[in-house]
Amino acid sequence: MSTLGRILMVEDDPKDVELTMTALEEYNLANEVVVTRDGEEALDYLYCRGNFSTRSNDNPAVMLLDLKLQKVHGLEVLAQIKSDEKLRMIPVVVLTSSREEIDMVASYKLGVNAYVVKPVDFHEFVNAIKELGIFWAVINEPPPGSVKKN
Amino acid sequence: MNQALIEARQAVVKWKPQLLLSAMQRYALAILSVSLALGISLLMKSFHVREVGIPLFLFAIAISAWYGGGAAMLALLLSCISFDYFFTEPLHTLYITGSDLPYFISFTSFASLVTWFSTVRRRAEAELRQARDELEIEVAERTQQASLLNLTHDTIFVRNMSDVITYWNRGAQELYGWIAEEAIGKRSHDLLRTGFPEPLEDISAELLRTGRWEGEIKHTKADGNVVVVSSRWSLRRDEQGRPTGIMEISNDITERKHREQEISALNEELAERTAELESSNKELESSNKELEAFAYSISHDLRAPLRHIAGFTELLKKNTASVLNEKSQRYVMMILDSAKRMGDLIDDLLAFSRIGRAETRQTMVGLEQLVQEVLTELRQDTGGRDIVWKIGALPVVYGDRSMLRLAFVNLIANATKFTRTRAQAEIEIGCRNQSPNQIVLFVRDNGVGFDMKYANKLFGVFQRLHSAEAFEGTGIGLATVQRIVHRHGGSVWAEGLVDQGATFFFSLSTFQRKESRV
Repeated sequence: MSTLGRILMVEDDPKDVELTMTALEEYNLANEVVVTRDGEEALDYLYCRGNFSTRSNDNPAVMLLDLKLQKVHGLEVLAQIKSDEKLRMIPVVVLTSSREEIDMVASYKLGVNAYVVKPVDFHEFVNAIKELGIFWAVINEPPPGSVKKN
Repeated sequence: MNQALIEARQAVVKWKPQLLLSAMQRYALAILSVSLALGISLLMKSFHVREVGIPLFLFAIAISAWYGGGAAMLALLLSCISFDYFFTEPLHTLYITGSDLPYFISFTSFASLVTWFSTVRRRAEAELRQARDELEIEVAERTQQASLLNLTHDTIFVRNMSDVITYWNRGAQELYGWIAEEAIGKRSHDLLRTGFPEPLEDISAELLRTGRWEGEIKHTKADGNVVVVSSRWSLRRDEQGRPTGIMEISNDITERKHREQEISALNEELAERTAELESSNKELESSNKELEAFAYSISHDLRAPLRHIAGFTELLKKNTASVLNEKSQRYVMMILDSAKRMGDLIDDLLAFSRIGRAETRQTMVGLEQLVQEVLTELRQDTGGRDIVWKIGALPVVYGDRSMLRLAFVNLIANATKFTRTRAQAEIEIGCRNQSPNQIVLFVRDNGVGFDMKYANKLFGVFQRLHSAEAFEGTGIGLATVQRIVHRHGGSVWAEGLVDQGATFFFSLSTFQRKESRV
């Protein structure tokens, strides 16, 4: 494993955070994960404001975005990112419980890079997270200006 | 009309007595009667009867006067001359002596008086006759007119300015039920209990101003029924221009009014129904939206906790594998099974609700190819089983391909599932024509079948006729099939016997149809 890109996870459910982190830890992908708990915090992170005003302003290598979020909905976050010149290159993966076609269509229209429905079965879930983590944080070459850890 | 008048006049002329003589005949009669009177007088004189002369001449004058003034004058002249010549002294001269003069004058005067009386009487008679003739003609005309008015189907009556009926035609009799003798002399508004569309004063004012009025009025017939008539009134005036009467010509439009009312009632009903339909359409739309929101919520919020149960139970199982006893490990497995089953239920339920909500995309669908695709997919799960497939010729239909595919997947998967206990399964898929624009497709198996008394439960959501242990499933497959078929305008039914297999039928129309929602 050469380099590990930083993963920004946007997830309001602590249980989901824990399960996802467990899955990532299992494959040693968890040490460069930043967790934000709602859409507003995610945008704060990306714009280096509020709690994140002191961080270096590199973009994450990938963003795992839940849709049903408090305060700012996932689709609004996605729309904001894809309409911002500085942020639009960040690969965004929607990771959601919903298989609703309407969400999927809206996400792709906004320019999402991948759309993954969280499987109910834990083994499938762990497998999906692993594949995602390995692909986006390891295999994929992130755009310039992304945080990478050697 | 003119022809009729001429005939009437001719009839009157024919009826006149043939006592009118020509002028020549009248004068000849005068001469003849005077000559006759003279002859008889002379004859009497020869028998020395002298006093008959005067009455005879007067009689002759009277006869002549009967037929005309001129003849009477001639008779008078001839009588005077004859009387003077033959009976007044000196005889056989026209000379009149002084003593005879009064006598002669009195004769002449009396004869003149007779002539004058006769002439006056004649003239009076002639005038009378003429007046009678005119009257006859008028009567004939009136009769003719009246009978013509009786020929029309229109209701016509005339009333005077005091509203008293003076004429009543047969149309009026037929419509209102009173004969002319009953109606004439009655006040029309009382008799007919007229209902006016506007105040009578306004109608009268218009009638007097323009001479006409038109409108729809209500009349009550002799039998008490009310009729609606379209009425045209015209004012009759005498030679001085004073109003004398009003002629009312009416048509019965009760039927038409009824029909108009029926039509307008039907229109109102239609508008009401349309409004109802629109409102229930709106309700349907809003409940559809609610359903969508509900499904969306289930999709997100119900699956998350389920995933957590499954996830943390897996983690629990992993972390406690060495410490839990067999019983506890079984409990953990049961939790995982239940979580998985609930996940399947939610997925199927969402798929089922999506069929009701999604728009159908109608295209030509070749069922033969579609069924082959489904079989290829299902054979992956039936590998190693002995299944005899009989696939008949299948048509091309118009419908939503993915939905029809799902219907076949459910039906054929059921067939393979419920023949699992058979050493050799037989599954037949075929089609038969029901009617020119409807086909019936069927999937038949030799599986465990079902009791026909539960046939109505087969297509309900979560309805299962077999235990989950015997045959797995969520109980949504056939409900999904039914919903798909209904959305295609068809119907679905099943035949079966316990342990004797089952056949599932569904009908589809072969022509393009508008989408319907279930």
